[in-house]
Amino acid sequence: MYRYFMPARRVSVIASISLLAACAHPRSGGTGVTTGPREALSESCLLSTGAVSGRTPKITIGLTDPVDPRHAPIPQNDAERLVFRHLYETPVRIDCERHVLPLLAEKWVRDDGGRRWTFRLRDGAQFWDGAPVTAQDLVFGRGGVGYTLAALETRVITVMLAKPADDVPPVLGDPGLAISKPAPDSSWPIGTGAYWATSATTTAQEIRAQSSRGDTLVFRSAASGDARDLLDAGVDLLVTRDRALRDYAATLKDLTVVALPWDRTYVYITAEAGGTRFDGLEQAVRAEARRAEGGFWWLDLRACGLGSGHSVSPPASTGQRRILYARSDPTARELAGRLAALTRAAATARSPDDLSAAVSAGKDWGYIVALPRATADPCRAAKTLLPEWAATITALVDTRPTAIVRRGVARWTVDQDGTVHLAP
Amino acid sequence: MTFRTRLLTAFGVVVLIPLLVFGLGIRREMSRRVTAEYERRVATLVSVINADIARENDRISSRLAALTTSLQGDNDFRTTIVRGGDRGYILDYAGGAMRLAGLDFLQIQDDEGRVLSSGHFRNEFDRLGPHVVGLMLVQAATAEGPFLALVTTDTLRIAGRPFRLIGGIAVDSQFLARLARDPELGVALELPRDTTAPDSNAFVVGEVTLPYIDAADGPGRAERARIVVTRSSALLAALQRNVNFWFAAAVLVAALAALLLAGWLSTRISTPVEARIAIGDLARQVNHDIKNGLAPLRNVFRHLTQVARDEPAQLPKVFTERQGTVESSISYLETLAANYAKLSPQSERKATDVNAVVRETVAGAGSVRTKLADGLPPVSADALVLRRVIENLLSNAVDSLEGKGGAVTITTERGNGLVRIAVSDTGRGMSKAELDRAFDDFYTTKTGGTGLGLSIVRRLVLDSNGSLKVETEPGQGSKFIVEIPILT
Repeated sequence: MYRYFMPARRVSVIASISLLAACAHPRSGGTGVTTGPREALSESCLLSTGAVSGRTPKITIGLTDPVDPRHAPIPQNDAERLVFRHLYETPVRIDCERHVLPLLAEKWVRDDGGRRWTFRLRDGAQFWDGAPVTAQDLVFGRGGVGYTLAALETRVITVMLAKPADDVPPVLGDPGLAISKPAPDSSWPIGTGAYWATSATTTAQEIRAQSSRGDTLVFRSAASGDARDLLDAGVDLLVTRDRALRDYAATLKDLTVVALPWDRTYVYITAEAGGTRFDGLEQAVRAEARRAEGGFWWLDLRACGLGSGHSVSPPASTGQRRILYARSDPTARELAGRLAALTRAAATARSPDDLSAAVSAGKDWGYIVALPRATADPCRAAKTLLPEWAATITALVDTRPTAIVRRGVARWTVDQDGTVHLAP
Repeated sequence: MTFRTRLLTAFGVVVLIPLLVFGLGIRREMSRRVTAEYERRVATLVSVINADIARENDRISSRLAALTTSLQGDNDFRTTIVRGGDRGYILDYAGGAMRLAGLDFLQIQDDEGRVLSSGHFRNEFDRLGPHVVGLMLVQAATAEGPFLALVTTDTLRIAGRPFRLIGGIAVDSQFLARLARDPELGVALELPRDTTAPDSNAFVVGEVTLPYIDAADGPGRAERARIVVTRSSALLAALQRNVNFWFAAAVLVAALAALLLAGWLSTRISTPVEARIAIGDLARQVNHDIKNGLAPLRNVFRHLTQVARDEPAQLPKVFTERQGTVESSISYLETLAANYAKLSPQSERKATDVNAVVRETVAGAGSVRTKLADGLPPVSADALVLRRVIENLLSNAVDSLEGKGGAVTITTERGNGLVRIAVSDTGRGMSKAELDRAFDDFYTTKTGGTGLGLSIVRRLVLDSNGSLKVETEPGQGSKFIVEIPILT
């Protein structure tokens, strides 16, 4: 006579899958299934651009920064954020009100007291080349601090959290979990988004992204370098931090100027002990800026193994009072200039890559770094943007972009990280 | 010191010392003239720099005056000053105005000297700016670091409040290059506390002073800066190097020429003189040695003569007694003769073809007729010695023609155990008296002759175990016959 006792864990997983399959309604606490309704958009996240009648087959979006497909799917500037959001998908999306909305994952179950979350991928989810998206595509080689990923079935994944959570872990909306795979004949990785782009649809000035429905998104850069030319050429959306461009757009009819959320905080990173308060920095920059407000995600990174008690000692300084900033960021340049004036230092420009390397090395007097105000994966952001050595990080100013939108063309919505994209 | 050394030393003194004095004089005069020329050009350049700076001052002042007028009429600026408002307009004002005015430095300061707007460094607002009075050099701050500007100031009042405009142009390498119009003169700037090492090849030869404020780290205080005109010592050094080089070359060439000339002259003058001195020394030595040998003989002879006259019976006995002395003296003289014979070079006797030697000799002697016997056996003689003999005889034969035409003939024939060489001419011939002295040393009938030719010929023939005969007739010519034994 044989007996088989099913382990409790396996019982729980099977129960979760069963629940997912049954599409039960969500319940608070305990085990429940949540289905993210596709149209459940928060109205407050939609940009006020007037009523939209019908679907426009071609929408043009202006870009003020360069876009490098090699960075996909993790953006490194505003323009890449805008483009990649339309081409690559994360398991879930978090809107400007922090509501979790389904994207690649359409259903999920919370169990084990919020330590385990089980997601089922959207039916029919596939790459641009027609290959179906599997749980393995999402799980392979991924994971981060505080969570692990595992593929239970072809279309089911589990996320194990180090700490239980009541809500869907926001890390699933982080671009670091966006799915892509290398393309043999294109510089663009193959994604799963509604729009796709290849090298053949990309030129130095234009990226044409097409959907299976037949619409086209045209991302266009200003050949002259003057973004006002884009507005005059009739782009439907342009996101900018340039107040002069905003003021120019305000003089054009059919365009609406919408202030987007404060999405970026400029910080001063230095090895000097003790924080320094700098007043009046909002006047030093030409972008729309305010004094930096609190709630910074980088203040407590203990869960990531960073912060006090974990950081290594700062490296020896070169002795020069030099403040480094990213050459392509005018706001960073202005802040570095002001700090240089106040601290009798010199501001020095670096390319973004060189600035990252310099921050890691930590041999200079200080650094002006732009950090996102909100991030779904603070540990990944900290690892990418902040030094490992014990640094004093002083928040300087918050800035926010402005969306210049053509009225009545399309509905645009904003995510938690401030990214504008077409509303589903 | 030999005669030749004295000759060389004299040439060195006569040629090199004047050359040295001449070269040093040229070098000194050249330095003096170049320096004077530089000083004249420096004075000109300093006056030009002063004029240029005054012109720049006028240019900056006129632009500041235009900006002052524009600012006084700017309602946005006035509104912000009087009622407050968008401070960004003021902060950005100087940046735009500076570029439009073609300036590199522009600050708008309030009555406390605090920066309201800065064109070259937007974000230095609220700092205390430099207190500029008149035309000054200002070390100004930018975000990237300090830069130097030549600035001046203007004032205005808006809504009863005084403001000061400070504008200027960058003082950089291009600015200094514009001032330095003379390519051989340098223009440099010397600031207080400038730690830059000066060019060791440059000499400061002129300067223009300007008031200076280091405002990179604050308002600073007035000091003095210098725009210095320098000349490089490199040009003068190069000229001097060239002069030195050519001077050394001239000395070398002169020394070489003097050496060659002295050598040639010493050959022409000192060799015969020294030869005569050597012969004289040798003659004195021979004279002394022979006298040493003759003195005992003379004494013995006088003694024997006296005995023969006074005591004839004792003569055999005395002769016997003095016979040893005579023999000893004769032996001494023979030894002496043998020793002196060793001083002459020894010839090497070997089989020598007489005809071949004659042909070689005649080949360089012009029109000499030859009658050479065939099948001559080789003789026992040194070919070189034989050649010297024939050369001397031929030379005498040709000279005896005295340029009047005639014939010189050389013949060879075989004799009894010997080969006979005859050199005959149809010249002036010799008298009996001349023939008697013909083989004496230093006897000659020719102008410029040494009188050694026939003497040497006789000695060489005798050294070769040969014989020498002469047949001569005054007015008919002479025939010298040399007979050399055949090699056995």
